[in-house]
Amino acid sequence: MVEYAGNRAAARARRAARAEATSLARRLDWVLVATVGGLVAYGLWAIAGITRHDVPGSPSYYVTRQAIFAAVGIVGAIGAVLVDPGVYRRHHRAIYTGTIALMVLVLLSAPFTRGSKRWIDVGFFRFQPSEFGKLLFVLALAGFLADRARRISSPRTTLQTVGLAAVPIFLVFLQPDLGTALVYGAALAAILFVAGTRWMQIALLAVGAVVFAVLVLWGLPSVGVPVLKHYQQDRLLHWTNPDSDPGGATYNAHQSILAVGAGGVHGRGVANATQTNLDFLPEHATDFAFASLAEQRGFLGAAALLCLYLLVVWRGLRIVAIAGDPFSAIVAGGIVVALLFQIFVNVGMTMGIAPITGIPLPFVSVGGSSMIANLVAMGVLLAIHARARAQDRW
Amino acid sequence: MASATANGRPAAPPRVVPPERVGLEYRLSPGVAVRIGILGIVAIAIFSVLFLRLWALQVLSGTQYLRAAQNNQLRTLPVQAPRGAIVDRNGVPLVTNVAGTSIRVWASDLPKHGRYTELQRLARLVHVPFAQIATELRKHAGDPLAPVTVDEAAHDDVVFYLSEHRDEFPGVEIARTYLRHYPYSDLAAQVLGAVGEVSPQQLESPGGRQFRPGDEIGQSGIERAYDAYLRGESGVAHLRVDSLGRPLSALQVSNEPTPGYELRLTLDVKLQQAAERALRYGIVEARNQGAWAANGGAIVALDPRDGSILAMASDPTYSPSLYVGRKPARLLRPLLDRGAAEKANFPGLDRAIEGGYPPGSTFKPVTALAALEEHLISPYDTLPCKGQVTIKGQTFKNWDPYVYEGMTMPVALAASCDTYFYQLGYKFYQLPRERKQPLQEWASRFGFGQKTGVDLPGEQAGLLPTIAWRHATYTPKTDPHHWQIDRLWKPGDSIQLAIGQKDLLVTPLQMARFYALIANGGRLVTPHLAEDVEQPGGGRTPAIVRRRFAPPTPQRVNVDSSALEVVRAGLDEATHGTIGTSQAIFGSFPYRIAGKTGTAEKTVFLPGQKTGLNLSQSWWCGYGPTDNPTIVVCALIENGGHGGTAAAPAALKVFEQYFGRQATQHGTVYSD
Repeated sequence: MVEYAGNRAAARARRAARAEATSLARRLDWVLVATVGGLVAYGLWAIAGITRHDVPGSPSYYVTRQAIFAAVGIVGAIGAVLVDPGVYRRHHRAIYTGTIALMVLVLLSAPFTRGSKRWIDVGFFRFQPSEFGKLLFVLALAGFLADRARRISSPRTTLQTVGLAAVPIFLVFLQPDLGTALVYGAALAAILFVAGTRWMQIALLAVGAVVFAVLVLWGLPSVGVPVLKHYQQDRLLHWTNPDSDPGGATYNAHQSILAVGAGGVHGRGVANATQTNLDFLPEHATDFAFASLAEQRGFLGAAALLCLYLLVVWRGLRIVAIAGDPFSAIVAGGIVVALLFQIFVNVGMTMGIAPITGIPLPFVSVGGSSMIANLVAMGVLLAIHARARAQDRW
Repeated sequence: MASATANGRPAAPPRVVPPERVGLEYRLSPGVAVRIGILGIVAIAIFSVLFLRLWALQVLSGTQYLRAAQNNQLRTLPVQAPRGAIVDRNGVPLVTNVAGTSIRVWASDLPKHGRYTELQRLARLVHVPFAQIATELRKHAGDPLAPVTVDEAAHDDVVFYLSEHRDEFPGVEIARTYLRHYPYSDLAAQVLGAVGEVSPQQLESPGGRQFRPGDEIGQSGIERAYDAYLRGESGVAHLRVDSLGRPLSALQVSNEPTPGYELRLTLDVKLQQAAERALRYGIVEARNQGAWAANGGAIVALDPRDGSILAMASDPTYSPSLYVGRKPARLLRPLLDRGAAEKANFPGLDRAIEGGYPPGSTFKPVTALAALEEHLISPYDTLPCKGQVTIKGQTFKNWDPYVYEGMTMPVALAASCDTYFYQLGYKFYQLPRERKQPLQEWASRFGFGQKTGVDLPGEQAGLLPTIAWRHATYTPKTDPHHWQIDRLWKPGDSIQLAIGQKDLLVTPLQMARFYALIANGGRLVTPHLAEDVEQPGGGRTPAIVRRRFAPPTPQRVNVDSSALEVVRAGLDEATHGTIGTSQAIFGSFPYRIAGKTGTAEKTVFLPGQKTGLNLSQSWWCGYGPTDNPTIVVCALIENGGHGGTAAAPAALKVFEQYFGRQATQHGTVYSD
């Protein structure tokens, strides 16, 4: 009997779980799922072409690895869908502390790679905390703000948030990873914006950011306190004029624009993409993946990718609007804006309309951390959607 | 984005039970809706910018960028054309080409990191000091796409090593080149000149647009004068490279180079060799006779009928092959650096056209012709020839203090009597103002004080002093105390000019040209070296003459033939009469030679000395055979003492080679 009762209880639990799973499945944003799936597939196809000549003798070396990462990322995304976002809110202090701890760990332990410490080696792949940090950063700050929803308009709350955010931003900047630090900054702006910080405070923060940027770029170097590395400064200042020094500071920008332009409407194909295959285009599998894609697949291929991104951003903004609680809305806003910012800076820098910073192209650039972190972030978006209100209106 | 709460239908009850919520039920407030709307607009703006930029790059300017990307990997290289050979009048090659391998560095392809170590390794390999390569690279810094030649003539083992380790030397190129080869080593070095890389100054000069950086062009002598014919036209080749500049394909020549034309000179190798030997012989002879400072000279041999130069020697000389490949800088220094050149007594100087010397007695025929033409004296009037003569309270000495007799003009020429010509000079001085300066006018008609127009760069005009020149030259700056006296034309100026002394400066070529005028009956020739340019024939195809350089027609100077006859008689007497100054040298020669010795005083600064010495320049100029002259020889031995002891024996050697006969005996020389 006991056994029977136990069986009945178990069956009930199983039924409830099945019901929840079906309901969850029904409440998923299938457009977003399809779009992200398409992006991952498209990204793998693009990487297959871009890296075909990179490892002599094994043309699919990178694409295989990348596919494995994508699979891990999908598993991570499914896991994220199953977690109620409220869990993150309750534990935002732990998330924040954990993020900071990870970043300090990177600075302390990671070996130097190309002049910067960004990775922690975990066996078969190198774990890059700052990529996961993006999501954790958004979750932690959103939790902090959601707790103070009633005092959102007080300057004290805003200053506290900025102060909290400054620590991880500074740690990432120290790695040094200027691009990711900027992504964090964009996410912070989005979080405050969606949380409902007063316009006046946002305006003051914007002015403060501009003053800070001017100080870092011109003010402090002129009094002998270089904040940025030389190459960072050069790239930030020279991007408006990519031909000013084709052999030096603007070499990357120059070659990248050449690659994009040479692609034309239909692309040069994988075999004929000389900018990519002959290594004129540096970092073509990671930071400059878009230029490489544009060279190989032309306007049609590159525009298709941008369309997929546009779809993701649209679905993301929609989730911000229908989110079931302030925390979820803030998280969704942070995720979407961080994604939008990465897309703009990365694609823009390959075409000479944004400064060159080392930001990977979401879902395309070779790199496990970025792929997995972005997929998990999409999972969080989907989880928010599944628990949203009034979803059939949209 | 309208507010979701405006929804008329009731929202479906959430089946997933949300966890307990803190605070109120969340509503999308109008403020937040606006903010989401703004984010949407920003997103649309960003995507529009990206799409438009992508469109502009790929669709609007795609073809242009495609071309740029293709050029990115295609490197255009010039293919050196073989430079034309230079041959003598009989077709004997004086300068040819040999194939060589050069090692060049493309600065733009050197790795950013480790270029220092790479260049140091390269420097050790090719045995060129690292500092030298670094300097060259810095010189080319303005043009990163111009290669820097590190070694023009690389050894085979170096080339093998480099081609085997090509990957370790990015930016280093091994190229086939042609190198100048000199079968006769230093023969006619100053005349032939050297070839060298075009300099930045030359590239910027008005005519520099025809050159590309790295081109080898004629830098001096014939190589420079006829560079346009000799150079040929370099071809174009394409090479596919990757981003490190490593070649991906073999060199594809798209434009074959056009070889340069062959240049035929009027020089005769045998005579040139004889002239250079004679010059060295004359210098040794002069030293043996006590002229210890004899250290250089020049010999010119030309055909008096058309001015073609048969031989042109200058001593000291150098080996033009020094300019080929990379030789120790120490050896090249006398040719490039002034101080070192002075120590080596200017081996790069072509004394035949660039050296200015007082002509001394070899100038006396000019005075004689001018005096006859101006009717200052008749040929067989006698003037006393004495050990010295005092004019206007100033005493002028004869080279032979013991002579005391009356002389006619031919005798005065033969004995080279200074006092006779002093008196003629004074007659010129005494001429009334309206007669102007006939001596200088005649000298100028005979080509003095002006360039001969020889087809070589760097020719000097010499100096023919006139009243106007003296007036213009001496100013308060030259001498604040005596300039007003210095600038006057005084009797001594005319008197000294009559025997070719004081301010007068001539080049050996000008002198030879004047003696050619005496020999050919009063026509001034234009000396020249180039005969024609030819397209070299190969195998059975004969050479094709592309352009013949017709020498300018000799100009009549309207000198009276009877006056010339008198001078010719005097010059013949000088080599055959008992009183002749070079009778001991030429008297026994089977062919009848006529000519004049000269011993010119010149203040000389010997290498490494600060105070000037008054030393005699030894001259001899003449022609033969006297009845129908076919060759003029003019010899000059610097600081060689008397004309009869150094220059005349040297000139005889040239005649011996030309006529193929030896002089039988050698008498005691008593000459000025």
